[in-house]
Amino acid sequence: MGAWQLLSMDLSIAKNRPAALTLRVVVALVGGYAFTWGFVTFGIASLAALGRDFHEAEMLLLLLAFIVYLGLFLWAFTASSLMRVVVVFAGGGLGLTVGAWALQRAVLG
Amino acid sequence: MFANFRQAMTWLHTWFGLVLGFVLMACFFFGSLSVFDREIDRWSLPDTRFDAQPMPSFDRMLAPVFERLKPNPGDMAATARRVTGDLPSPETMSLDSLYAYTTHRDPVLLVGGEFAIPNAPVDPADDHLHVHGWATIDPRTGTKLPDDQLKIGSEFFYPMHYSLHLNWKNLGIWIVGLAAFTMLVALVTGVVMHRKVFKEFFTFRPKKRAQRSALDLHNLTGVVAMPFHLFFAFTGLVIFAGTYYFPVSHTLLEPLHERHEVAEAARTGLPHERAGVAAPLASVDAMVAEAKRRWAARDMAGDVGFLTISHLGDANSYVSIFRAGTDRVALVGEAIYFDASSGDVIREDPPRSTVGAINAFLTGLHLQHFRHWLLRWLYVLGGLLGCVCIATGFMFFVEKRKNKHAATGNIGSRVVDALAVTTVTGMVIAAVAMLAGNRLLPTDLPATGAWEIRIFWCAWLLAMVHAAVRSGAVSQARINPAWREQCWAIAGLALAAVALNWITTGDHLIRTVFVDAYWPVAGVDLSLLACAAIAAWAARRLAWHERGAGQMHAARSHRRSRTHMAGG
Repeated sequence: MGAWQLLSMDLSIAKNRPAALTLRVVVALVGGYAFTWGFVTFGIASLAALGRDFHEAEMLLLLLAFIVYLGLFLWAFTASSLMRVVVVFAGGGLGLTVGAWALQRAVLG
Repeated sequence: MFANFRQAMTWLHTWFGLVLGFVLMACFFFGSLSVFDREIDRWSLPDTRFDAQPMPSFDRMLAPVFERLKPNPGDMAATARRVTGDLPSPETMSLDSLYAYTTHRDPVLLVGGEFAIPNAPVDPADDHLHVHGWATIDPRTGTKLPDDQLKIGSEFFYPMHYSLHLNWKNLGIWIVGLAAFTMLVALVTGVVMHRKVFKEFFTFRPKKRAQRSALDLHNLTGVVAMPFHLFFAFTGLVIFAGTYYFPVSHTLLEPLHERHEVAEAARTGLPHERAGVAAPLASVDAMVAEAKRRWAARDMAGDVGFLTISHLGDANSYVSIFRAGTDRVALVGEAIYFDASSGDVIREDPPRSTVGAINAFLTGLHLQHFRHWLLRWLYVLGGLLGCVCIATGFMFFVEKRKNKHAATGNIGSRVVDALAVTTVTGMVIAAVAMLAGNRLLPTDLPATGAWEIRIFWCAWLLAMVHAAVRSGAVSQARINPAWREQCWAIAGLALAAVALNWITTGDHLIRTVFVDAYWPVAGVDLSLLACAAIAAWAARRLAWHERGAGQMHAARSHRRSRTHMAGG
């Protein structure tokens, strides 16, 4: 069974439970990390754009990072649709990271 | 996937807890030992058994030490691979920057520096290339301690708890990070699983079946030390976040960070680069005196913890003097910066912002530079409660499944149990064997540190093999005798370590406690004795349980064979 099929079907009735579980663990760990990375970089870039000190912003976001990651990780295991989790993690992670990069460019002129 | 929220949380708790529990155990155990890393150093290096010393005079004591400091050969070789052309001879290299570091628990002083090299890097992005040199010295005489000695506490147990000594691509730091994150997950999911947390907190049934008692103790230690576990897992992650887990300022946001650094250098007046004009070094002792005067004016304890000189011998050179934070939780700081050639104050660190203060408090509470012995012991207690929590988690896992596994021929609980023996008693055996080995190795043996490390890993490996060889009992739903046997091994090794310390150094407990009190060594000896006593008690209890379980097993098979005969 392909990963795509696993993702798109309702996993509560998935026959291949070990594969479904492995997939969820990977999505929760890697996807959650990607989203958190986006959150941290976008947060720092936003605060820097607002004129806050870089290290100050970095410290604040790194304190929040693991709380956010923990929340995302647990949500990945409780969400009924893994597809939705993947979309949020990938889309959010990518969107926020690109946003951070664009903000940085704008700030540095 | 999961029928409900609680089932999802239970699955996470069980399986993430099991897989990463083995790593967490090492983090908590060696983290607990790290609380007294300097004291373990004293025990293992008898030449350094003298009182903690303040930062010595730079002008009289340290300046000649730095003149004699040479690049480290290992670091020379590593740097040579990263540059084009041959490195200059180590004899001709001059220091570009230097540091000296001590704490209120250190008799010896750590010194080091960066040697400038003219070579171009192979990778252009690899800027700021230096060759490093370092040494440990006796600050009373300036004598260098042998390089091949290992500070077992601060150079082996301490890095073990955050890197597992797996340095390839920082793999160990990432594994420990995942384990710390798992600890956060396990605590949250644990609370969800056990809704009656308060009721269970007051429940301990030591006389019940092993499965019940293990679960009770798991819940009790999990709840009672929860703030402690949550805090250490969380701050451990935060301490390494900027460098390893989310290195945003060295990657995506590097341009923003670089702009900040340049602006910072302009604002603080601390030069980022050398001027290229030679200049002499004024009296550093006078600068230290001025720094102490300024700290005293702010009503702060005024010991120097960390002293650095940047751009040595250059007109842009400056001296940074950091206070040792013995009187507060937040880390060393309140730095005062001096122009190296004039001795004038360039800058004082401003008071911290709110976020900065929170961060300094959290990391400081983890790294504990403060002077508070009761709090230090509470840290050890908290860490060991963490070990009990994880160990009882393993036991509950095994006890819950072993009867079923024995009946169906599944080896799952047998393997988990053998690994649990390896990480619980095996780890203690490795640590204590290392200490005993330290006292047994001949003093004139070259590279003694390397031999101690070999003893540590070999002892651990041996414990693992022993646990596996003896694990057959679990397949018959009995207790693995390796638990009991390894407890006796711990007791024997711990007693041997105390005796060997007495024989080889003459420092027995009557002397170190009463006659000529020296608490670092007495504390390690007393802890070893306590460890031996607990291990012996545990071994006797295990023997009692094994007999009980054995009788039950015998009775059951007797019954079974009777039914079988009756049926046949």
